[in-house]
Amino acid sequence: MSSVAHKKSKGIMRKLNAFTGIAFGLLLGFTVNYLARKYLAQGEDFPFYGDQVIISTMLAWALGFMIGVGAFVGPYRWLMNRDLSYEDQMWLAGKDAGTARYFRFTTDHKVVGIQYLIMTMVLLGVGGTLAMMIRTQLSMPNNHFINHSMYNSFVGLHGIIMIIATIIMVTGPFGNFILPIMIGARDMAFPRLNALSFWLIFAAVPILLAAPFLGGISTGWTAYAPLSTQAPPGMDAYIITIIIFAVSSAVAGANITTTAVTMRARGMTWDRTPIFVYGAVASVGVAIPAFPMFMASQIFSGLDRAMGASFYDATNGGSGWLYANLFWLMGHPEVYVILLPALVALLEIVPVFSRSPLFSFNAAVAGIVGITGLSVLVWAHHMYASGWAPNLNAPFMLTTEIISIPTGLLFLVFIGTIWRGNIWVRLPMIAVYAVLWNFLIGGITGIYLSDVPADMALHGSMYVTAHFHYTLMGAGLTGMIGATAYWFPKMTGRMLNEKIATPAFLIMQLGFQVTFFGMFLVGLQGQPRRVAMYDILFANGNKISTMGAYTIFFGALIMLVTIIDSWRHGEVAPANPWGSQTLEWKVPNPIPLENFLVPPVVTGDPYQFGKPDIYDLGADKEKVEV
Amino acid sequence: MSTKERTRGSIGEFIRRPYVRHIFVIWVFVTIAIALFAPVQSRLMGNSASLEMDVVKETMTIFTFWSAPVAGLVISIALYSLFGWRSKGDAAPTEDGSPMRSNSKVVVGWLVGSSILCVMLLVWGLAAMSESHNGSDPAEVHTVNVVGNQWVWNFDYKDDGNFSTPVLYLPVDEPVMFNITSVDVIHSFWIVEMGVKMDANPHETTHMRVTPTELGVFNIRCAELCGLNHSAMFTKVHVVSKSDYKAWVDSMKGSAQ
Repeated sequence: MSSVAHKKSKGIMRKLNAFTGIAFGLLLGFTVNYLARKYLAQGEDFPFYGDQVIISTMLAWALGFMIGVGAFVGPYRWLMNRDLSYEDQMWLAGKDAGTARYFRFTTDHKVVGIQYLIMTMVLLGVGGTLAMMIRTQLSMPNNHFINHSMYNSFVGLHGIIMIIATIIMVTGPFGNFILPIMIGARDMAFPRLNALSFWLIFAAVPILLAAPFLGGISTGWTAYAPLSTQAPPGMDAYIITIIIFAVSSAVAGANITTTAVTMRARGMTWDRTPIFVYGAVASVGVAIPAFPMFMASQIFSGLDRAMGASFYDATNGGSGWLYANLFWLMGHPEVYVILLPALVALLEIVPVFSRSPLFSFNAAVAGIVGITGLSVLVWAHHMYASGWAPNLNAPFMLTTEIISIPTGLLFLVFIGTIWRGNIWVRLPMIAVYAVLWNFLIGGITGIYLSDVPADMALHGSMYVTAHFHYTLMGAGLTGMIGATAYWFPKMTGRMLNEKIATPAFLIMQLGFQVTFFGMFLVGLQGQPRRVAMYDILFANGNKISTMGAYTIFFGALIMLVTIIDSWRHGEVAPANPWGSQTLEWKVPNPIPLENFLVPPVVTGDPYQFGKPDIYDLGADKEKVEV
Repeated sequence: MSTKERTRGSIGEFIRRPYVRHIFVIWVFVTIAIALFAPVQSRLMGNSASLEMDVVKETMTIFTFWSAPVAGLVISIALYSLFGWRSKGDAAPTEDGSPMRSNSKVVVGWLVGSSILCVMLLVWGLAAMSESHNGSDPAEVHTVNVVGNQWVWNFDYKDDGNFSTPVLYLPVDEPVMFNITSVDVIHSFWIVEMGVKMDANPHETTHMRVTPTELGVFNIRCAELCGLNHSAMFTKVHVVSKSDYKAWVDSMKGSAQ
């Protein structure tokens, strides 16, 4: 790249995209695989050879892909003393690039948001299909639809895919696309890190999806040691995926936090900042201490498997409880990483569709802060029955039960906002009602499980599975669907066809209640989790669950088709179809590259409902001097 | 200040509002419905076979009772709003709802209420925990060593004779202490009808105590994913009378020699 060539072709970075990334990733992957097989010691004395080859191949693929997609162009050019010019940056942001920008390392936050949305939908589709496999196997007590090994593999893969999908499902699409516009910023604080966080996940997904071909993740998503040390090489895929994902979420977390703290528009004081921003920041903020724990737990696990270390090997001075602690230090904050952004997205929806201000903004913030703070102090309630520290059960029961107070505050904000509102029943608002119901059930069953003696009976049973599906799916995923319905017109420029989407949503909700009613039932009767076959006693409950699951799948398919159809052919959306007051609805459709031609100035919070003079849709323009 | 202004916002005025009365009626119905549902979960758990399971079933029922009024409040307001406060038609509402931004009495009341409930949960939980640890004289406690092994359970009787068995026998109404370990991966020793479980960790010994109260045959299942045949890792526990237990121990000692 001579300086002359640089001026003409604008550098090699102009030629990089996802396809060159895949090509270079495969090239580096195969090369390292060849070298590893040739030079690494093998034979009976070297039991770790297989895992070493697989881990090095996967890391090489990921590194090769990131190089090939152009993730390191910025730092490379900076090192070479040829920092990116304004023109380069505009090119990276995808200026006038059309559809091609979705397939390369584009820094525009709106492109990254859409990429995240598609990725979330793909992962939910794969995870949902796996769930159907699991439910089909469980439709009869001694079914032979899939064998035990495949069953265990699907349970693990379903778990971890859904965890990754639900972690990114709100802060990914909406945190990236909507949040910067909502606070009046032209882009994220670190646009290149933003693209990096997405393409890291893109690099990790093929690794994760390779797991079933490498013997599967036979440990469930918890991957407890020493079961994980016994597991086939599919476990290496899990380990590498988590390590990459942890880097991605750290990068995204730092980016979203910095953006929200430093880039809010003039006049957007903290009490004028939309509540969604608080929730998104709290979510990624919790992820910042949580995911390094996960990463460390998997690095140790990988060292145990591939280098013969003994972090978790009790016969050699390690401890399985070390793994359990590291894992749940991530694992419990992580459920709030999933839940909080979905709930606060709904808190953004409730005032608009009730035409009423958010009830007690301060209580909402206190609820978010309370949940965030307590979420890192409750992890060992997953370990009441582990025998790790029986004397700590009481303190962890205390912290776990206290978390019901800030959670209760969020319920108060919901019903307080609905109180005497003028309720506009559209799909986003229907999602709010669905989430209130589901989260109530998820929350109350969580109270039983927080109680040590009750947990001794219910831990490890299907009751727990039903409980966390009510929180993560019933509240989290349902909230995300509501948020998608709400921001769809802004993100795609078209209206979602609610004539089909609403019935599809209701079918999914009905199926959801049926599925997990059956699962609560068999859990109470004593069916353990993650079993491929079960006692005849549990036959009816499982049949109910499987029928419900097919109903969800049917509804989800209709929903997916409707979303795709509306995205392509839907009615063109006005700039502000809901009469919302947050800034993202003030920018035109399609949104210009840097969102605002003139930086907006904010003079009030976005919940100025209930005052007839301000309500007029034209009038609130006064508050924003564009 | 006129009389009218003074009464507005007072409790008397508040409960005279028509929607408050409607919500109150729905709240009463929903709360009663949840309260009636409270014993259902406990019943679905089957008959209790131990002191510990009695505590669990009581806990499930009482927690449902306590949460009934709060859950009822959320459900009744949400339900009422769907009918009473609904904007007509699919088009955007032309009028706004209430401009209320907060109400410190409500927020403080809610906080106090949920804190009281939280303390009740905690006190109940601590009491229940100490109840399941209260025992008789340690000398009267039977000891059984439990070993998890992919994918079978083994029970070593040390005090009552030196023998092993894959099927557990326990005397009724006498406390038992299990010392639990594993030879390979983590298992979880779960006596379903007795409402107790404890993980079996390799190279560690964990302890679990239970007092069977019912004669009969009950289920032991593994509650922690432990590999390929996790779902097949189950066995039975026979709870028998004290004399039958003695006879069984004698026969086992005979066959062990």
